[in-house]
Amino acid sequence: MDPQLTSLIVPTEEVSQIEECLNHLVEDTGGNYALLLDKSGQVIAAQGDGSRQDITALGALIAGTFASSREVAKLLREKDFRMLFQQGVRENIFIALIEEQWILCVIFNKGTHIGLVKVLTKKATDELASVLERVRQQHKARDEVLGSSFRTSMEDTIDLLFRD
Amino acid sequence: MALINVPAREIHCKIVYYGPGMCGKTTNLQYIHSQVSGEHKGNLLSIATETERTLFFDFLPIDIGKVRGFQTRFHLYTVPGQILYERTRIAVLNGADGVVFVADSQRDKLEENVRSLRELAVNITKQNKKFQEFPVVLQYNKQDMPNALPVQVLDRYLNSLHWQRFEAVAPQGKGVFDTLKAISKLVISKL
Repeated sequence: MDPQLTSLIVPTEEVSQIEECLNHLVEDTGGNYALLLDKSGQVIAAQGDGSRQDITALGALIAGTFASSREVAKLLREKDFRMLFQQGVRENIFIALIEEQWILCVIFNKGTHIGLVKVLTKKATDELASVLERVRQQHKARDEVLGSSFRTSMEDTIDLLFRD
Repeated sequence: MALINVPAREIHCKIVYYGPGMCGKTTNLQYIHSQVSGEHKGNLLSIATETERTLFFDFLPIDIGKVRGFQTRFHLYTVPGQILYERTRIAVLNGADGVVFVADSQRDKLEENVRSLRELAVNITKQNKKFQEFPVVLQYNKQDMPNALPVQVLDRYLNSLHWQRFEAVAPQGKGVFDTLKAISKLVISKL
């Protein structure tokens, strides 16, 4: 099977390492929130201020911004822009790419210096890149994770839900 | 690439509605949003121009609920159809697990459909995926228009790969859920 079509399965141990890494990033920068996304916009893990709403939409928009900036980069004959910074009145967001697959975002306010965020994000992307590498190396069969009857149950649920 | 988060017991899949300008991609999402009950859907997010044309994408998260202990979510996106936005379409297509190609059945739109489908094939291939094996479902929309081409003619020009295809009238919902069911099942079968 084409590896591009198989799923990325993130096991328990790796997710807890990711969460720990995000947690350190929030604590050490004094930031508000850290988020790890798949390049398709799906949220893998998030840490920080628990009151933040609508993480799903945030993930989709940030991944869209990143994918769009990559196309801009190509027009400028760059491979991609590996980091993006968006500055608001109250909050800022710093976004970094991890190995073409994941996107790390840190949301912080004016109490935190951008230089610190940059340095610590760089450290975190290195750590997360090695976690990603381990995730990629695992070849767990889908059935091992989901169970063999998953597909039939899923089809029944889809039939029930998707109707006028 | 679908994402399976084991400790959170979550599965996320990305489905993109692709097709030429004004073929009804956004209308598909609007209809789905209007029919799916509240606990199963998020907000429909649209980044559109002042004239309601899609500028970047529409986004609708659908939560199927728990299946065999796994919370499953489909993220539905549309691309902007206008020719001008090719680069934006590439960006939205990034990481898609499946595509619904919405064709405008009207006779004078056939060339635009063919061009858009060709562009889709190029863009999927650029992501190092084999287009022949990539999950695609076809929707022949606007079948209620007086100048709509019959399905057999549309098949000849658009369906050489024999995908599942559905006739549709998206504003009335005809064919919308059949299409969504087909692509969801296809994506799940490739997990």
